[in-house]
Amino acid sequence: MVNIVNALVSPTPSPSVTPPEGFVPWEQTLRGDSLLLVAIKAVAILVFLLLSVLFAVWFERKVISRMQERIGPNIHGPFGLFQLVGDALKLLLKEDVSVTKRDRVLYIAAPLISVICAFLVFSVIPIGPAVRIPFTEDVTPLQLTDFPVAALFILACAAVGVYGIVLGGWASGSTYPLVGAVRSSAQIISYELAMGLSLVTVFMMSSSMYTQDIVAAQADLWFGVLLLPAFLLYIVAMVGETNRLPFDLPEAEGELVAGYMTEYSSIKFAWYFLAEYINMLNVSAVATTLFLGGWRAPWPLSAVSDGVLNTGYWPVLWFLAKVWLLMFFFVWVRGSLMRLRYDQFMRLGWKLLIPIGLGWVVLWGVARVLYVKDWLPSVKQVTVPAAIVLGLATVVVLFWPSKPGEEKTGRGRVKEIDATAGGFPVPPKPGEKLPPSPRSTRTVDARSQAKEKGDRDKG
Amino acid sequence: MTEHMNPYVPILVMIGVATALAVAGVVVSRFIGPHRYNKAKLSPYESGMEATPGAAGGGRVPIRYYLIAMTFIVFDIEIVFLYPWAIAYERLSLFGLVAILSFLALITVPFVYEWRRGGFDW
Amino acid sequence: MTFESPIIEWAPLAPVLIVFAAAVLGIVIETADPKVWIRRRLQVALALVATLAAAATAALQWSVLDGDGTRVVVDRIICDRHSLIWMVMIAVFAALAILLFSSRVGGDDAFAPLAAAAPGSEEEREASEKGLAQTEVFPLALFSVGGMMLFTMVSDTLILFIVLELISLPLYVLVALSRRRRLLSQEAALKYFLMGAFASAVYLFGAALIYGGAFSTSFTIIDTAIVQYHGREALVLVGTVLALVGLLFKLGAVPFHAWTPDAYQGAPTPVTAFMAAATKAAAVAALIRFLYLAVHRFEWEIAPVLWTIAIATMLVGTVAAIVQTDIKRMLAYSSIAHGGFVLVAVTSFEREALSAAVFYMLAYGLATLGAFAVVGQVREVTKDGSLGAEATRLGQWAGLGRRSPWMATAMAVFLLSFAGIPLTAGFIGKYVAFKAAFDSGGWPLVVVAVLAAVVAVFFYVRVIVLMFLTPVPEDLKDAVEVTESTGPSLVVGITALATVLLGVVPSVVLDLASNAAILVP
Repeated sequence: MVNIVNALVSPTPSPSVTPPEGFVPWEQTLRGDSLLLVAIKAVAILVFLLLSVLFAVWFERKVISRMQERIGPNIHGPFGLFQLVGDALKLLLKEDVSVTKRDRVLYIAAPLISVICAFLVFSVIPIGPAVRIPFTEDVTPLQLTDFPVAALFILACAAVGVYGIVLGGWASGSTYPLVGAVRSSAQIISYELAMGLSLVTVFMMSSSMYTQDIVAAQADLWFGVLLLPAFLLYIVAMVGETNRLPFDLPEAEGELVAGYMTEYSSIKFAWYFLAEYINMLNVSAVATTLFLGGWRAPWPLSAVSDGVLNTGYWPVLWFLAKVWLLMFFFVWVRGSLMRLRYDQFMRLGWKLLIPIGLGWVVLWGVARVLYVKDWLPSVKQVTVPAAIVLGLATVVVLFWPSKPGEEKTGRGRVKEIDATAGGFPVPPKPGEKLPPSPRSTRTVDARSQAKEKGDRDKG
Repeated sequence: MTEHMNPYVPILVMIGVATALAVAGVVVSRFIGPHRYNKAKLSPYESGMEATPGAAGGGRVPIRYYLIAMTFIVFDIEIVFLYPWAIAYERLSLFGLVAILSFLALITVPFVYEWRRGGFDW
Repeated sequence: MTFESPIIEWAPLAPVLIVFAAAVLGIVIETADPKVWIRRRLQVALALVATLAAAATAALQWSVLDGDGTRVVVDRIICDRHSLIWMVMIAVFAALAILLFSSRVGGDDAFAPLAAAAPGSEEEREASEKGLAQTEVFPLALFSVGGMMLFTMVSDTLILFIVLELISLPLYVLVALSRRRRLLSQEAALKYFLMGAFASAVYLFGAALIYGGAFSTSFTIIDTAIVQYHGREALVLVGTVLALVGLLFKLGAVPFHAWTPDAYQGAPTPVTAFMAAATKAAAVAALIRFLYLAVHRFEWEIAPVLWTIAIATMLVGTVAAIVQTDIKRMLAYSSIAHGGFVLVAVTSFEREALSAAVFYMLAYGLATLGAFAVVGQVREVTKDGSLGAEATRLGQWAGLGRRSPWMATAMAVFLLSFAGIPLTAGFIGKYVAFKAAFDSGGWPLVVVAVLAAVVAVFFYVRVIVLMFLTPVPEDLKDAVEVTESTGPSLVVGITALATVLLGVVPSVVLDLASNAAILVP
């Protein structure tokens, strides 16, 4: 069984599995790739992503249907699998309408930016360790590339992807897309902060931004377990970051039609759509790599015959399993939760996630220095106060007294409102109630009814 | 095997491949899609109503978005400062911790200030 | 790979740290958000205590300093007698400026009640009626003061840039906060910001070029690199000129002065006083350190540039001041001219210049603070009888000597000091500054400077004539009023007294300044 204390104290995490005979460190094999091999890998990633998205669309429709006690697509092909081929072709064959008020260059560039940035993230994700390519003697890791700032590159791609959204909404020259774009970018950057904060402790434990190093550092214990609060923070942030329910405010149909994509059709819309689904895959893959042990086999399996399941092409299976587990989580969340209001959403991001993220970084930093310096003798003495402090912090954050004069909503005093402000009937907001209708007591009928009701209650 | 490739070259290859696909899609769709435009299709969509004049290009958005953008930059820089510290965390040890804690404290003060002054209330 | 933590001498940083700590504490007070009157008092007390404590600490360090100075952070931040005397000066200027910041005339301070409200809007009127106050001005000013004090110690191009921004950013905001004439104030702030950002970028470009040539940001290493790396001097030289642009911008030297009149006129008068006195002093201190420590081997190359700038600054400042009809604008141009006079001393590259610049900026800063304090007291009276904006048109100053003899007399003292009339601090300042230049062979420069000073006497004396020898115009009899509130009166008293004392018995301060004429590399 894994020892948490060891994981905490050991200054540099070392893989517990001794490398097998003829093992070549992954950096060397990666640097040895020929340009042809790199091109093949790049195309392979592209095809893999396109197919995954097609599958993801079907998967989402099928799962959500089952959750809603429907059947979902089932007519074309086995399990309705061909439905998605039709969907994809349909988008390509549609009429490409461009609004007259658009900005010519940016209108086309924006969806391209979005989709290209989405494709890029997977180039640093390790799908597996070094393997021998079938029918050749070449050994190469299942990863396009890896470099000292690989993890930062992922965040950079996500950040540049926002440009696609902002520019798309702006270049449409139309009101809904503009509002959708600023909303969407405000949302993404807000949750990018929480996401960025959740990764700090991961880098503290791995001491490296090479994605393969981060996977290797999780040989003993997944960071998702060791750094549970950071993982949970990441999970919430990743849903917000990808504009998925319950955070899909940029496309809130009732308010904004289709947000920044309102004026897009045909293939340009398809690129946005594709980018959104690839981004789901991206954040799932990043979560897998950074928190769920990457391509490494889950615990009971990793112990099978000295880690044989961590070699060869096996890891691809574990990687895909983990990614699709997270994809299922996305769908599950969509099937279970309702969309938040925009103010609730921003409040959650800025007033809860960011303070918690900061608090966690500080807590972990202090605790670990104390451990490394050997100033604290046991686990309990840190974890227990830490848990208390974190709990208290959460409570304080949740119940922070709002300023006087600020409107209380939800709990607290129920406000009565003017039902006909400005001459129009006004519906009550949460925490407000309508004044009693003047007509309810004036008419004889209503009064007698009320009296009757009172009598009945007494009797 | 002997000649080592710059690890950033594959990124360029990936950008090239992805761009090729994305541009190809746009080009192909132009040729195979139908083209039956009319005025209504080409005008900005606004729920069937007359489009807002002046929205194009210089459309205004609430000032709050700018506030969020500014706050984002402050915090993004803060987080980017945290990364090098996190990477070199073992070596920097106590000195690094004290330095980064004072940095965080200095960021937290304006954070609380903005919070209390309603900067995060939507 | 092991990591060695840098050794930092914290004690010499104490004055700066006190100011910064107070600034952060000020934000904490704002965070706690007590009632306006509590907040105001706390902030004023905190800012005053902090600046005075900083001055006292710096003075204390002067008295206990062993040898010439201390290297605070390796060779990047250096605390020597020269930086200590500047720090004391800036802290004292800041304390006086804080007194002006906190003063209220007719119940209103000089700052907008709610900076976010659009000028002339309903919200602004409501905020004003509710008695709101933007008490953030005090922490903002403290951040700027801390930056200025640090500015005098920095020996590193990169740290210099950061501190430059630290000084500037709060000032950009402060300039925009005037209670009256909001649009003018906001326009001034925007101009100042755009020009300042541009100047910072030019400075940064220069610093990058210097780094490219000298492979270091440290002044000491740049100095040796200029000699050692043959063939790279050109790069360092171009970088030096660009970096100088950034520093000269803060000083308001021609041709980088364009922001000065607008910013000085639009800013709330206490902020103008603060900027004109303290910022200029800090800029001179940093300019001296950069010129004398990092690039003094380029003396032959950059001296002509500096000479040209000094002459242009004096002439433009003086000539433009003559034609001004607004007292704040006139003082702004006069401050440009004074920037030129102090450059005369600085360009000599002599040891004497160090003490001369210190004394000159002290004399100029005291008179400036006092003059703007008086400007803030001369008010227009609105139709309903309440006090309005400052009466800055020169015509409105006619007969001020009858309205308020004391204020007018003090103003006359400041103007005479600006003009460099004997028995005022300004005379001694000009004397030592020109002497430093003259001794190093810069007599043509001194000739121009003396001529400019003579011309400048004209418009200073014109204001004095206007105040004392012109009767109050009939139509302005009730339209202008001179208030004599406590804070500004105190500042006027202190600065007037100091100006006269420095003019009559300058030896004490001159001795101190010559003791401070030492730069530790």
